[in-house]
Amino acid sequence: MTKLKLVDVNYTYSEGTPFRKDALRNINIEIEDNCITGLIGHTGCGKSTLVQLLNGLLFPTSGEVMFDGKNIKEKGYDLKTLRHKVGLVFQYPEYQLFEDTVYDDIAFGPKNMGLDKDEIDRRIREAALFVGLEERYFEVSPFDLSGGQKRRAAIAGIMAMDPDVLILDEPAAGLDPIGREEILGGIYSYQRKRKNAVVIVSHSMEDMARYSDKLIVMNGGEVFMQGNCREVFSETDKLLSVGLDVPQITKFMRELKSKGVDVRTDIFTVDEARAEILSKIGGRGNA
Amino acid sequence: MSVPFIKVEDLIFTYDDEDSIDKHYVLKNLSLEIEKGSFVCVLGHNGSGKSTFAKLLNMILSPDEGKIYIDGLDITDPEITEDDLFEIRRKVGMVFQNPDNQLVATIVEEDVAFGPENLGVEPSEIRRRVDSALETVGMSEYATHAPHRLSGGQKQRVAIAGIIAMQPECIIFDESTAMLDPQGRAEVMNTIAKLNREQGITVIHITHNMDEAVKADRVVVINEGEVFLDGTPKEVFSNVEKLRRAGLDVPQVTELFYDLSNHGVDLPSDILCEEEGAEILSAWLKK
Amino acid sequence: MLKDITLGQFFPGRSFLHRIDPRTKIIAALLYIVAVFLCDSIMSFIILLAATLALIALSGVPVKIIVKGLKPLIFILAFTTIYNVFFYKGDHILVHWKFITIYLEGVVFALIMGLRIICLLTGSSVLMTYTTSPIMLTDGIERLLSPLNKIKAPVHEFAMMMSIALRFIPTLVEETDKIMCAQKARGADFSSGGLIKRARALIPVLVPLFISAFRRASDLAVAMECRCYRGGSGRTRMTKTHFGARDVILFTATVILGTVIVLSNIYFPIWMI
Repeated sequence: MTKLKLVDVNYTYSEGTPFRKDALRNINIEIEDNCITGLIGHTGCGKSTLVQLLNGLLFPTSGEVMFDGKNIKEKGYDLKTLRHKVGLVFQYPEYQLFEDTVYDDIAFGPKNMGLDKDEIDRRIREAALFVGLEERYFEVSPFDLSGGQKRRAAIAGIMAMDPDVLILDEPAAGLDPIGREEILGGIYSYQRKRKNAVVIVSHSMEDMARYSDKLIVMNGGEVFMQGNCREVFSETDKLLSVGLDVPQITKFMRELKSKGVDVRTDIFTVDEARAEILSKIGGRGNA
Repeated sequence: MSVPFIKVEDLIFTYDDEDSIDKHYVLKNLSLEIEKGSFVCVLGHNGSGKSTFAKLLNMILSPDEGKIYIDGLDITDPEITEDDLFEIRRKVGMVFQNPDNQLVATIVEEDVAFGPENLGVEPSEIRRRVDSALETVGMSEYATHAPHRLSGGQKQRVAIAGIIAMQPECIIFDESTAMLDPQGRAEVMNTIAKLNREQGITVIHITHNMDEAVKADRVVVINEGEVFLDGTPKEVFSNVEKLRRAGLDVPQVTELFYDLSNHGVDLPSDILCEEEGAEILSAWLKK
Repeated sequence: MLKDITLGQFFPGRSFLHRIDPRTKIIAALLYIVAVFLCDSIMSFIILLAATLALIALSGVPVKIIVKGLKPLIFILAFTTIYNVFFYKGDHILVHWKFITIYLEGVVFALIMGLRIICLLTGSSVLMTYTTSPIMLTDGIERLLSPLNKIKAPVHEFAMMMSIALRFIPTLVEETDKIMCAQKARGADFSSGGLIKRARALIPVLVPLFISAFRRASDLAVAMECRCYRGGSGRTRMTKTHFGARDVILFTATVILGTVIVLSNIYFPIWMI
């Protein structure tokens, strides 16, 4: 089911001044339940602006943002509740930690929602489990955690608000391979359990190929492509033409095909590539 | 045989880290030699000790035990003078992770001039060095801009120019690409390669991104405070299992060839880039 | 957006004023400010306006940019003008309607105050902030105050602190913006409730902001040390400034400006108030 829908959205910064800048043009997208949507594009392509439109931190210059079928620009629309229902994790969210203990920090969002103590406690424990933050850290100051653990605590703070839509702006930025895996894996299993809508903004095609169901590719303030991973990555040339990358394995399969080997090129994970190549080899490899 | 530019012997470092409650970051018996003019990539997961190692090389930190020789001078000698220390810092420049936190001035060219000014260089010579440093990193047209308006990659290039203007023999990049987007990362990597190739500057690039390590002459993997693997990128990346144990990843194509050889396919396992892989596999299939 | 605020923006260039030693410009600006306050007659204002226009011409800064820089002052300007028009008392009544009386003197005084504010800001910013980069400016202050070194005042450190503060203001403003958005997304409310509630609501912004500022400070200290910074002694400057003919011209011109304004007040005391 569609949770968020953007209809003909335009956004212009500093309208009516010499600094006027079109950030978004003609955006028509739908964010669905039970789906991880990957949002990809260069820095400055409008991703960050788009993300802030989704939970009412910004409003479109023209066009409509609909949540559950209701226009959020309408008079009397409860924006506070919208922000509870559309959770937004900013880039480097560890810089927003401020409470004395990890537990209290995760509780900040749920407390602002006016939930009772037991419910808050239940949500904190659940969220911590999703991000892989052990309970022994609960009474520790968030500033004594390691970088990766701070990141998890910050993400747990939004997950504990139990949003219908969870948006994460570069949740794995700056982490090492293990850290990336743990954070993205945690978000993946959270989504699969909750079956809600998750939007992940990322630069990494490899990560997106692994974790997202649907992709929205932005370029120059417009939606450049959208569809499932296979549809998007099969149009390698189109992606490369605007300077975006495709997973290395996809490039490899194309290269192989250009060398006259008849293989599929709409492949974007190593597992798929191995299966495809093994099928071409047939029994030869084991001979 | 020539004397290596950097030589460290049996480094031991215990880190009283208040930022972490359960880890005691340590370097234990780390020994390494780095030749003049080489491009060395130091890989390791977060907390492997790689950043500590970098900070020891120009005495921001000092080791508990062990010796560090820079250009033949023992910098761990307690008798070392302050002047010697500053000469070491001039010879071994350092570019850090966060581009914002290393720029001092409000105008790009004045920032680049900061280092030479500290060294007491003649004004006309500073001017010449600033212009040529900005030229080298391709930021000449931004000479009179304010740093806070630049992109991450541009800020890092300005930081690099600030180091080049001190005419160092070696530059350490302490995770200087970790906070950048793919475009900024590419800009910085190209600049690094250019400095090494054209000006013969010894480069020590610290990262957890294996794509960047592929470009180096030599890859040193640090794990648990020790040198874990050391060799050319091909030699190092063929140890897929070992790298994974050290919390690192390998390029997708390397992983594919490794997987294929595990399935009994007789293919080399030291493939790094897609062109090379496609070449070898297509030739193998036509056999 | 918060980050669009510019503080004393520098306009890079190679004009007459750009090439003058910052010390001369600081002194000239002080003299100019004194001259503005000495203006007391129509004639003196005409001279002042001419001098200000000449300064703008010498700075090479487009008038458009200067006018834009005055925009934030519209409120203050409007307030002083209106206040003086309605509340200044004099002898010549212009308008008298119910309880409102407007005197000729009030209108004149309002005009004079408005002109003074505009000239004051335009002149001093053309002399200093527009044509002198923040580093040059702090450098100039450092050197003007350098005699204080003799009494062990930390003049260099003070100037360094000032220029670093200028460098990081935009960064921290941007960061504040970001943290506020992030906490809003967690349901923080900054715009409702009484004073105490609002002040409390700022804690989730101020704590991360302070922590980040300290982190930046310590990072920057390490980076500066790596770039061989060890205080003011033995440092050189890229832009070596020295007094030249231009400096003498500017200094003499401002002294003459002050003198002429005083003389014009005495010899052409038209509409003196």
